[in-house]
Order: sequence, then C-alpha cells, then structure tokens
Amino acid sequence: MMRILRDIFLFFQRDLRIASTYRSPFILEAVEALFGAAMFYYVARFVDSPALREALPQGKSYFAYSLAGFVFFDYLNAALDTFDRSLQDARDAGTLEPLLVTQVSLPVILIGSAFYPFAATTLRIAVYLGWAAILFDFPLHAANWLAVFVVLLSTLLAFSGLGVLSAAYLLLFKRGNPAKWFILGVSSVTGGMIFPVSILPPWLQIVARLNPVTYAMDAMRGALLDGAGIFSLAHPLLLLLAFAAVLLPSSVLVFSWSLRRTKITGTLTHR
Amino acid sequence: MSDPAIILDSLEKWFPPALSGWRAYVQPFAQPTAPALRGITLEVKQGEAVALLGVNGAGKTTLLRILATLLLPTRGNASLAGHDIEREPAAVRRQIGYHAGSDLGFYARLSGRQNLRFFGRLNHLSDDFSAGRIESLSERFGLSRVLDRQVRALSSGTIQRLSLLRALLHQPKVLLMDEPTRSLDAIAAADFRHFLKTEVLAGNATSMLFASHTMQEIELLADRVAILDEGQLLAFDTPTALRARTLASSLEEAFARLTGRRLYSAAESKSE
Repeated sequence: MMRILRDIFLFFQRDLRIASTYRSPFILEAVEALFGAAMFYYVARFVDSPALREALPQGKSYFAYSLAGFVFFDYLNAALDTFDRSLQDARDAGTLEPLLVTQVSLPVILIGSAFYPFAATTLRIAVYLGWAAILFDFPLHAANWLAVFVVLLSTLLAFSGLGVLSAAYLLLFKRGNPAKWFILGVSSVTGGMIFPVSILPPWLQIVARLNPVTYAMDAMRGALLDGAGIFSLAHPLLLLLAFAAVLLPSSVLVFSWSLRRTKITGTLTHR
Repeated sequence: MSDPAIILDSLEKWFPPALSGWRAYVQPFAQPTAPALRGITLEVKQGEAVALLGVNGAGKTTLLRILATLLLPTRGNASLAGHDIEREPAAVRRQIGYHAGSDLGFYARLSGRQNLRFFGRLNHLSDDFSAGRIESLSERFGLSRVLDRQVRALSSGTIQRLSLLRALLHQPKVLLMDEPTRSLDAIAAADFRHFLKTEVLAGNATSMLFASHTMQEIELLADRVAILDEGQLLAFDTPTALRARTLASSLEEAFARLTGRRLYSAAESKSE
C-alpha cells in the first residue's frame, strides 16, 4: 500500500515539475478567474429580480448561487476528464509505452496522473472564490470547509468511476469522452448549475431527481453557502458514496477488460 | 545448467484488420485475420545475445512487444526468466530492460536526469542507486554534459542514447532492444555496441534479444541469429553456421538466400 501511495506521489511530483516549467499560464489563469468572477457578479446584477430571488433557496444571492454551481462543475469536469486526458497525453507524447514496461500498473499510472489536475482544479477554484470574496462580497465566511471538502471528495470518488470508464472508451476507440458529454450535457440542464431545478418542467424535474449531480450540487451549496455540517448533508453524501461504491469497482473491471482487449488487437499505443 | 532466459513455444500473433469510419467502432471486437507471428519456437540461453533479422513487417517488433508484455499472444506460450508473460506480467517486467527504438518516450519539459530518475523510481530503484547508475552510464554514453538540459532541446540521437540508458538503468536480466543503434551516428553506434559486448554481455548475467538491420551489429553482438520472414522462423543458428548452410560469403547473403530475396551487389547498383 505504501509503495502504491509512493508511486502515485511520483506522478504528482512529475506533473508539478512539468507545470513549474511553464510560468505564465498560472498568472493568466489567475487573471481569467478574476474576469470569470466579475462576469458572474455582473450577470447576477443584471438578472436580479424579485421573481428570481423567490425561486432561489432562501438567503442566497444569484451571484453566490451561480458561482457555487460553477465551482462544483469545474470539479465534476476534472473527475470526468482527467483520466482519459492523462492517458491521451501519455499516448501522444510516446511515454505510455515506457511507463507500461515499468513496475507500476496502468491503474496506478492513471490514478497518479489524476492527482495534479485535481490539485490544480482546487487551486483554480480557490483563486476564483478568493477574487469573488475580496471584490464582490461572496459569502465565504459562511462556509463549513470540512463539509465542503467531504462533498468535493465524495464527488470526485463518485464521478471518477465515469472518468475511468471514459479512459476505457479511449483505449478502445481512441477518441471521445462519452461519459463527460452525457453527464455534463444532462447536468448542465438538470443539475442546477446556474438555475434551480424548480423552474424546470415536471418531467425534467424527474430527470433532475434521478441525476446524482443534482444532489451533489445541493450538498455543495449547503456546505459552501449555508455552512451545513456533514451530518445534515448525510443524505446526498451517502448517495454519492453509493454511486462511487457501484461505479468505481465496475469501471476498474471495464478498464481492465479494455486494456486486455487492446493488447490483443495491438492498438494499446495507437492514436 | 541454468534455465533459458526466454522460451517461446509455438508462439502465434494475429491482428485484426485496421477498420476506419463507422466500422472503427467494431475494431476492438474484430476477429484477428492477419498473421504477424506463426508458430515461433526458440530459446534464448542465459547470457546469450540473439538477433532478430528480417525485412520490415517480418514480426520482429511484434515479438519484442509480446515479451515486453505490451501485446498478448494469440496462441502458444512465452516465458521470460521463468515467468509466463500472460500470467505473470509484473514479474516479467521486473526482469526486462526494453528499448523501443523510438526517440519518443520522454517528458520534453523535464531534463534527461529528471526523466531517468522518474523512470528509475517507477522501477523501484533507490535514489542513491539510481543516481549512481545515471552518473556512471551517462559518463559512459557521453551524456554527462547534456543530462541537465530539457529533453526538448536534445537531438534525436541523444534522446536515443537516453532511452538506451533507461533500458539499462535497473540492471535487467534480459534486454529487449528494437534497432538499438538506429538513430545513432556511426561513432556512437560503434561505441554502444562495444559497451554491450564488453560490459553488459561479457559477464553472462544478461541476455539480449534484439532486432537489427545492421549486419555488422549482428555479427559483432549476436551469438545466434533468428531469421524471420512473414512471421515465420526460417532459421535459428550462429552467424557462421548460417553462412555455411547457405554457402554464403556474408550474413547478408545468407539472409537473402534463406528468405528468397535478391541481394544487389555494389557493382550492380553502380552500373544501374
């Protein structure tokens, strides 16, 4: 177990070293975050109305509501995107083959390669929220940070299974990320990212209730904007963990099968 | 008598046809119809160097990739250092140093040293051991001066040498090398062959299976030569025995006679 953790850390260290050779992207991302936070703020001011405030959960401004939704979606995107992107990068750079003849297994390579993107997403979100709090009065003081952390971790676990399935798809078909397309596509409408699901037609509200993203989003807003504790978020957290318990092992099985299949067809390192 | 380093028993590999367009979606499930290796049986003894000789598409790289656990055979068995490549791939990988013959495979934004240390750690080498090996091998390969430069700033020949160094870093029992001197200049290639002959193979602790198109390299390094053609093993013997069997004056000529291909002489080429 220690060896696996050490191997995972090696990939994080590698990615950190590579990222440190590019300096300007961090500055550009910090500036982009400033503009992003400003955009949410002014859109919120523009659309603010009594009807909108009535539709939102009590006590939240549309700015806080939509920015929290965006932050959550950034994490969701990272969970869905990171595994197949790291696989694609290694394949395109020609490093996949040398990695595969080392003593580290492909699942460990994938998990290890996911750590830096998750850390970078966390940093980007921190910068976003920092700008929003400093310049636009985003209510960071209300957050229960332990609960925020647990919600984000549960979200990563729950949706990483879909990310691993996407990596399996990439191994077999070389292009595309259907899990990301499906989940982000459906959830951008029914997940409650920038508008509450209560404004949807009844049949779409049913879809929203079946979508785990909706629960994760509610939990995230509860922890970040209302300061809700872990126990009061038990229902969505348990749902996310149940999702993870089913999806993670099954995605690892599918991935292993895909890996074996590509070793049979000889397409493992094909682009 | 020690166990063979590599045993291939009736090894076969077939690939499915490459499909494009919408049919690419059934590619992973397509039936293999194109033979790449057909019933290869051979043994590489401990400490022995065996060359794979064949025209492009003969199956040399496929064979090396099966032994490196990057491909699964369709039929037959293969074992390396006593470990079955299908059932014990992790144990096989512990024993091999694999050089794919490409100048890709490094992180362009990291230095040569950072790359080598990273791969050393993935092979579970201690930092001290890894640093010592990198130091001594880079000095031996003339890489000391460029080791701390980012890989993107290195020539393809230098990256090739880095890749050879990486394959040797953990002192593997079996070296699998696909055209090891392909991108090297004549001097670096001769130096690397000399290194393999005098420092890697001399102790009989390391075995090597390598693919090459360079007859001089095969003559120098190989104890035995496996001649492959269209996935079949046509002959497997010492260079001297192959020449004697075909009444050829050179290995090149022996290869041409065994595969039924015409070998143009220098005089013929000049006159044309």
